[in-house]
Amino acid sequence: MVHEILKIEGLSAGYGPLRVLHEIDFSVNEGERIGLVGLNGHGKSTLMRSVMSLVGWQNGSIKIKGQEIGGARSTGAGRRTHAIVQMGVALTPQGDAIFPGMTVAQHLDCGAYSKIAWRERAKRRDAVMDIFPPLRKLETALVGTLSGGERRMVSVGRALMTEASLYLIDEPSLGLAPKISRSVLDALFSLPREGKAMVIAEQNVALLAGKVDRMVGMHAGRLRGDVGHVALS
Amino acid sequence: MSEMKKLYEIGNRPREVFLSPDGHRPVHKSRVPFSRRHWLKWRSQYNPRSLKLEKRLADKKPLWWLLSLGLLAVVTPFLSNSAITVASIFCMFAAINVLWTLIIGTAGIFSLATLAVVGVSGYAAAAFNVYLGVPWPFMFAIGCLTGLVAGGFLALPSTRLDGLYFALLTLGIVEICRVFVQQLKSLGATNGSINQVDSFIPSDWFLQREGLLLGFAGAFLLLLGALLMFKLVNSERLGMLLRTARDEEAFAEAIGIDYRRARLMVFMVSSAGLGIIGAFYAMYYRSISPSIFSLDQLLLLFAMIVIGGIGRADGAVIGTAIVVLIDKGLLDLGPIRILLVAAIMLLVTLLTNNGLVGARDQFRNFRNRKKSEARARRTEKGGEVMPEEATDMLDKQEIFYRRFNKRLRDELKQLITPELIEEHRAKPLGRHSDALSRVLNYFRRSEMPDKYAIMRQPENFNHYKIVALSGERGAPPRLVDDRLYESLDEAYHAVFLLRVNDLLES
Amino acid sequence: MTAVTLIHGLNLAAIYGLMAIGISILWSSVGMINMAHGATFAASGYAAWQVSLIAQPLINTWFGTGLDASLVMGATMVASGLVAGALFGGLIFMLAYLPIHEKANFAVRSLIVTLAINLATVQLLLFFFGPRQRALPKIFGFGRTEILGISVRNDQIGTIVATAILMLVVVIWLKRSRKGLEITAMMQNPEGAVLSGISVRWTALPVTMLTGALAGLAAILLSQTVFVSPTAGALPLIKGLTIALLGGLGSLPGAIMGAILIGFLEAIVGSISFLGQRYVLFSQFLFIITVLIIRPRGLGGLLDETRESRNV
Repeated sequence: MVHEILKIEGLSAGYGPLRVLHEIDFSVNEGERIGLVGLNGHGKSTLMRSVMSLVGWQNGSIKIKGQEIGGARSTGAGRRTHAIVQMGVALTPQGDAIFPGMTVAQHLDCGAYSKIAWRERAKRRDAVMDIFPPLRKLETALVGTLSGGERRMVSVGRALMTEASLYLIDEPSLGLAPKISRSVLDALFSLPREGKAMVIAEQNVALLAGKVDRMVGMHAGRLRGDVGHVALS
Repeated sequence: MSEMKKLYEIGNRPREVFLSPDGHRPVHKSRVPFSRRHWLKWRSQYNPRSLKLEKRLADKKPLWWLLSLGLLAVVTPFLSNSAITVASIFCMFAAINVLWTLIIGTAGIFSLATLAVVGVSGYAAAAFNVYLGVPWPFMFAIGCLTGLVAGGFLALPSTRLDGLYFALLTLGIVEICRVFVQQLKSLGATNGSINQVDSFIPSDWFLQREGLLLGFAGAFLLLLGALLMFKLVNSERLGMLLRTARDEEAFAEAIGIDYRRARLMVFMVSSAGLGIIGAFYAMYYRSISPSIFSLDQLLLLFAMIVIGGIGRADGAVIGTAIVVLIDKGLLDLGPIRILLVAAIMLLVTLLTNNGLVGARDQFRNFRNRKKSEARARRTEKGGEVMPEEATDMLDKQEIFYRRFNKRLRDELKQLITPELIEEHRAKPLGRHSDALSRVLNYFRRSEMPDKYAIMRQPENFNHYKIVALSGERGAPPRLVDDRLYESLDEAYHAVFLLRVNDLLES
Repeated sequence: MTAVTLIHGLNLAAIYGLMAIGISILWSSVGMINMAHGATFAASGYAAWQVSLIAQPLINTWFGTGLDASLVMGATMVASGLVAGALFGGLIFMLAYLPIHEKANFAVRSLIVTLAINLATVQLLLFFFGPRQRALPKIFGFGRTEILGISVRNDQIGTIVATAILMLVVVIWLKRSRKGLEITAMMQNPEGAVLSGISVRWTALPVTMLTGALAGLAAILLSQTVFVSPTAGALPLIKGLTIALLGGLGSLPGAIMGAILIGFLEAIVGSISFLGQRYVLFSQFLFIITVLIIRPRGLGGLLDETRESRNV
């Protein structure tokens, strides 16, 4: 029996009168790596943010390890997010939603904010530095002074510090040079799979090809490709 | 005709003001003297039902102003002496607040030193009168000049400092004024106040009914003047420039608006007005004391504009009315009055976005948001039409047709199984099962554009290709793919599969 | 500058610093100008006075009237001031943060709400206790001590030492602890903080309580020289605000530096005979205005700039 980490049923979400997601059904199993591909503005980020309860309004069932965190909500974006993080979901937001005035070490510690993780933050920091070796010598540098690629590493690294079983990585390659974005992705794929799952949203399909278990397309707020089709033959 | 009347009593129409002009005579609109403005905003329109010409009053606020100010002016002379005093104080504070609104709202300078300007000019005017013997009519001019100078000094740091920084700084300036006045050696005997100021109220009328009425008349004129000034500054060129610049300073600068200069202008002009009010204040009470600089007085004044709503003249006046009524009208309540004011201030700030006058818009926005959210949610129950699209569609039947179509498609999707496809493959024509005939019926009804058709290849009798019709007269059909089908049945089935695929993808 | 002036200046700097730091921390982490800081000050003073009335006979019966008793009394005073201040901070959180922190224009709104709280508290205190001034028991006694050949009042030493220790603790706590990191995170990027599992709503509570407790302590310390009255909070509030402004809102080192400057300015101007006490406020504000016109962000105001650069 495969263990379902995330199960979304009939999820709609949007901002004000705008509806971005239309009745999405989606599930992620333990150990899976899923690529969420689609063009800009078709709802990839909104899907991830609605899992974290960060969008304007949302409606529909979201279950994390069987525990319901969805429901209908039209105000209070971000109010429940910290609880969802503590249930084991880590999101790396698009771009660099990071703390410019902190050092790299402090910034990574933020990811280990939960009580259990806080105690072993030094060990975790070390593990993240192994994944992203360039960060090791920048430990005391201010994040605001880093280059784009290093910042992305810090941003992704913060998510990896979290005691999470589901990692949602939103556009890790956005705005990076191809070589750097490939190295960031390779670092992500080198992570162990046991008990953890990862969803990577990406515009550039070629970056994910052959590296993920499943590719789910997203178009105009609906999922494509994962749904059962009648084969034409 | 009575039928017609009933027809229209829905929506906002019953609450609108209409005139039905005679369409045969030219319309004459009178203008405000010395300007190109009209007194009221009448808009001509045709009634969409009866197609009759009618004139709608687009802005009903002037009527409300006329009504409330007229009522105040007419009723007050018949009230008791204490009520007249309350009304005069209301007029005076309302005038101050209207000008303050100009500073905070229009100019966007968060100054808390309004009362300080009033106080400083009041002191200057009173000092000139008492110590230099300047007759009272000149006190207004002295107050005005002092206000201008004080405003200039205050305005200097406003260009450098950010909003909140400046607000806190002005709080400090108020405190300086209070301490300075209290410690002036020449005023030591009277604890910092100047008494026996000459006034426009004759001294034997002072605190008599005639004097109070005269005082009220003066205060009322002051309020009218302040409102006129608000209108002149806020709705004319200066106000327009500043409204453009309020949120987008960089943008305003880029299109050539010197918003700093405009802000300073508004600040100086309002300060001059406040100076006149200061002179009036000293004359009205025939004295002026350091209590005008006290933090409590400032907070009370701030409560007035906060309760009414920052940035609008009607807000300033309504807020002043509420607070003055509680503070001066309910004197029996004792210190609970201030508590009441604080509670109202708290509630208004917690619940509304911009004071009491903003409550209506806030409610409408809230209702619209709820409506559109509900609409967005409803559409997921089957309709294909997005809410934004739905409001743009003139033919509302189209919305329902598409919603019906969506439900039908959802229904048909359930019917499609491998068995059904197998059944069609075996026998494309002839008697079919119930499910298959339903699906085929739906396919047959589909619209002409992009409808599939089978085309026999001209060179070979038994070769078929599938095309899609353009649905446009004169435009040829396009080839769907290059596959050749050897028999008609095979081509029928291919078309069927294409349509099933389209159905499932929709 | 004589040594007495120096000690006097340090004493004032300590008390102003406590107020200014509270205002500064609250602004930097929660984004709220707390105009009810003066109310916290006055309310804590009254709470301590009330506690002292109840505790005095108890302490006298248990510990007699010796050194023990005055030590216990001092501890009770400080504790009651801290607790009352923290509770009042909690109240400010409930009224001025929780209902409106997600709405537009939070900075101005919370300023208005805290002003209303200030107004209401002063009136309530007037209503229950009357305008009479009350004196708190002297927790450091009346004596004077010789330090390096200078005779100093005990309460001045007590105030300076207690404040210095407390400030050090607060600064270290903000820099090192998990809560401190949480507050820094929230101040720099609320969404990032939320994504790290930090609840923005509940992080504000310890901050408001901490700043309230600082104001409570300031009330106890200042009440060694000044009486407790309903309007006692107004001047410390205005001084605290302007010092926080001088230091650059949100900057801790700036606030401490500003407090020291203003404290010494007050002590020096007060000690010059031809200027005297009456020009103290005047000179302070002139100084602050001059500094602000030269440096609009205050002495150490870098925070706003980093915030802005993030928003671009």
